[in-house]
Amino acid sequence: MGNLEATRPFPDSEEMEISFGPQHPATHGVLRVMVRVDGEKIVDAKPIIGYLHRGTEKIFERETYNGTIPHTDRMDYTAAATNNQALVGAVERMMGVTVPPRAAYIRMILAELQRIASHTIWLGTHALDIGAQTPFFYTFQERETILDLYEEYCGARLTLNCMRVGGQPFDLPEGWTGRCGAFVDQLPARIAEWERLLTNNRIWKLRTIGVGVISAANAIEWGLTGPPLRGSGVKWDIRKVFPYDRYDEVDFEIPIGANGDTYDRYLVRMEEMRQSVRIIKQCLAKLPDGPVMAKVPKVIKPPKGEFYFSVEGPKGELGFYAVSDGSTNPYRLHVRPACFINLQALPELVRGHLIADMIAVIGTLDIVLGEIDR
Amino acid sequence: MGSPWIAFLVVPLVKIVVILLVVILMAAYLSYFERKILAYMQIRIGPNRVGPRGWLQPIADALKLFVKEDIIPSRAEKFVYIVAPALITAPALVVFSVIPFGADTTFFGLLKQPIPPYLTDINIGILFILGVSSVGVYGVILGGWASNNKFSLMGGLRSAAQLVSYEVPMGFSVIAVLLMAGSLSMVKIVEAQKQAGVWFIFPGIVAFFIYFVCGIAETNRNPFDLPEAESELVAGFHTEYSGMKWAFYFLAEYANMVVISSVATVLFLGGWLRPFPNVAALAFLDVIPPFIWFAAKVGFFLFCYIWFRGTFPRYRFDQLMALGWKVLLPVSLANLLVVALGVLLMGGAR
Amino acid sequence: MSLWGFLTSVLQIDLAQGLSVTGKFFFHRKATIQYPEVRPEPAGRFRGMFGFSEERCIVCHICAKACPIDIIHIADHFEEVEVDGKKKKKKVLDRYDIDVKRCMFCGLCEEACPTEPVAIWLTTKSYETAAYERNEQLYFDKERLQNWEGVKPYPGVVPPNMGQMPNDPTGASSAGPEEQKR
Repeated sequence: MGNLEATRPFPDSEEMEISFGPQHPATHGVLRVMVRVDGEKIVDAKPIIGYLHRGTEKIFERETYNGTIPHTDRMDYTAAATNNQALVGAVERMMGVTVPPRAAYIRMILAELQRIASHTIWLGTHALDIGAQTPFFYTFQERETILDLYEEYCGARLTLNCMRVGGQPFDLPEGWTGRCGAFVDQLPARIAEWERLLTNNRIWKLRTIGVGVISAANAIEWGLTGPPLRGSGVKWDIRKVFPYDRYDEVDFEIPIGANGDTYDRYLVRMEEMRQSVRIIKQCLAKLPDGPVMAKVPKVIKPPKGEFYFSVEGPKGELGFYAVSDGSTNPYRLHVRPACFINLQALPELVRGHLIADMIAVIGTLDIVLGEIDR
Repeated sequence: MGSPWIAFLVVPLVKIVVILLVVILMAAYLSYFERKILAYMQIRIGPNRVGPRGWLQPIADALKLFVKEDIIPSRAEKFVYIVAPALITAPALVVFSVIPFGADTTFFGLLKQPIPPYLTDINIGILFILGVSSVGVYGVILGGWASNNKFSLMGGLRSAAQLVSYEVPMGFSVIAVLLMAGSLSMVKIVEAQKQAGVWFIFPGIVAFFIYFVCGIAETNRNPFDLPEAESELVAGFHTEYSGMKWAFYFLAEYANMVVISSVATVLFLGGWLRPFPNVAALAFLDVIPPFIWFAAKVGFFLFCYIWFRGTFPRYRFDQLMALGWKVLLPVSLANLLVVALGVLLMGGAR
Repeated sequence: MSLWGFLTSVLQIDLAQGLSVTGKFFFHRKATIQYPEVRPEPAGRFRGMFGFSEERCIVCHICAKACPIDIIHIADHFEEVEVDGKKKKKKVLDRYDIDVKRCMFCGLCEEACPTEPVAIWLTTKSYETAAYERNEQLYFDKERLQNWEGVKPYPGVVPPNMGQMPNDPTGASSAGPEEQKR
């Protein structure tokens, strides 16, 4: 046990500093957390990131605007359509272009399908970390259908490249709306099955109630967005507060939690999936005819200026701050990554908990290292 | 060489060989069934490439583990490191010597005289089982300590604490059955159930649940498998073990599962008896030989083990200990009181 | 705790509900596909391996400019040809190389191609291009882009020089079905 002394920060203290990751099955990517523990209780946790940094924002500066879109797919790779939507939305607003209504509805359908797909990954991996192995397979089975729908629409399953500045590259193929409608019709029954496995389960409740609590005031202070914010009781959703893409024409609700613990965030995300089903059904019913691409020049050259635009992604508020100098390549495209800012609250959430709870908290924040590190 | 030699030496030797072979094969194929059943619950097929429908998968795994490099950490305590897996496997196998697999049988007429299909029946059978299986805790602690890895040590200590704590309510629930049976011998417990005409699970339902839950905790299975879970920080006492030594830990875990299931069958489900053994109307069920009944019941318990693994999340360690000491122990004590009262009122043990 | 709450807690109804879900799925149809005996069919718009047609290519370089990672390398020269008695300059393709090991299959080159039907396309339904060596075997020049040497086409799909067209991978006149077979 000679190496135990080396990790003690002070000669007389009982504290130990453990490096958790970057290679670890439960860290959802290459995340390293330096955890300082006193016995079993966590005193402090410091996330160390950067293992997946690929220089995405620098790459943006040398691409044309439409060429940056495939790169955004690879940021939050579990929710590619959301990244696309945020980027093209920023550029369109800089150019003053409004997408045609059919394109806006198609974007909403793709984005809500992506929200469901991202939450299925979250549920599967979160349950797996806490020990339940089977929800992973059930949720990924539903995700397969969503990915098939994407494949029929744009040709890829994960790195979609499914939106362009000014509208959509393709119209919906034959029968797609029927297949999509059939999928969302049977999805609430699946969600109910997953809830039967977990929501009332006493072991699940023991592991998640009271774990990783953050108050509403603290959540706003730390800049959390998305389900971590709504789980603490703050009713804030970009789709309602700053509507984009015709979200003001569809009816849906924002689920919020009461206590700000892991169980509430779990319930918020499950309800969000059901609300997404509601939105998709309305969009499929109201889908207008018309062109899917606005009149934009072949080579996109926004006027000089800057614009910030954000969307409500499955992980939180994903924003792009676009600065253009009038040329075909962006001068600067800065990303406001939802997971990066949510991860900063990790020390606040795990202080005083046990190590096993830290795994639950990392799962409940739903982080994707691709977006954190870019 | 007269018949005393055959009775004293040859028959037990043959029985030992058969039981060992069957148990080891069963442990290996239990891993196969676990993978298949878990897979079926997870809407996928398990192993199906090695051999027809994957039946040779455990053989392939065993061969792979045989030829794997034998790694011993440089600063590990060498002797203890090598002996620790044996310390947990040996008790698991020894316990099988007193478990009764069936009534006296001629194996469908193969033998001239009926012989009991178990190795022996000592008059302190259940005490022997509880005592010997407790020796397995040494294998866990020493394995964790000898690895010279602070995470293994933590995992080993936790696992040992879990094993020791759950033995207490398990013991109390077993005593409840002993009160009803009036004997410590395994065969006599089964015969007491035959005399009573009902399996002991019916009067002892609480004891049965407590026993089974403690049994799952004793074998480090989900939902009590925190010490060996892969997604936790502490990777468990067998982190530093690879190859054949790891296979022994693995084998011991599965053999322990079979032990707990067999003991639960004998104590609560009537061993080799058919349901309602004294009801004449069900006599047509006697066409199924007793050891098939036994095997079916053990199989049901093993299926439950795997079913629980596929369904439940796992307990955190402090919650696990709280469950054992604060919930199961008082309930098992209360159950013991109630059963004792019941036996007294019904005129003594049968 | 109410009486019902106490009963459900003792009788472990919540755990039994979970067990009923996994028990039900035990008897469901399984989702496993036995690859490689059964190959799932990609959708019609699936972005797979490249197809190229040298005849249709007008050497405009728009695909190379549209590529976000600049993996299309084109070289050409002018040649004088006689057309209706007049001397005209025509662009002739020397080199059309795609560095497939770096490709992210985004499809921007296919979108940019102005010819009708397009000269570079990804809707080939073929995804089995794995090689044992990355630098030589995954660098496709214009001959290899058309004869598909080293590429395993999806069953029924023919290489571009045998008649494959964009949106018609089998080279027949009927388009491939859009739904995946399980």
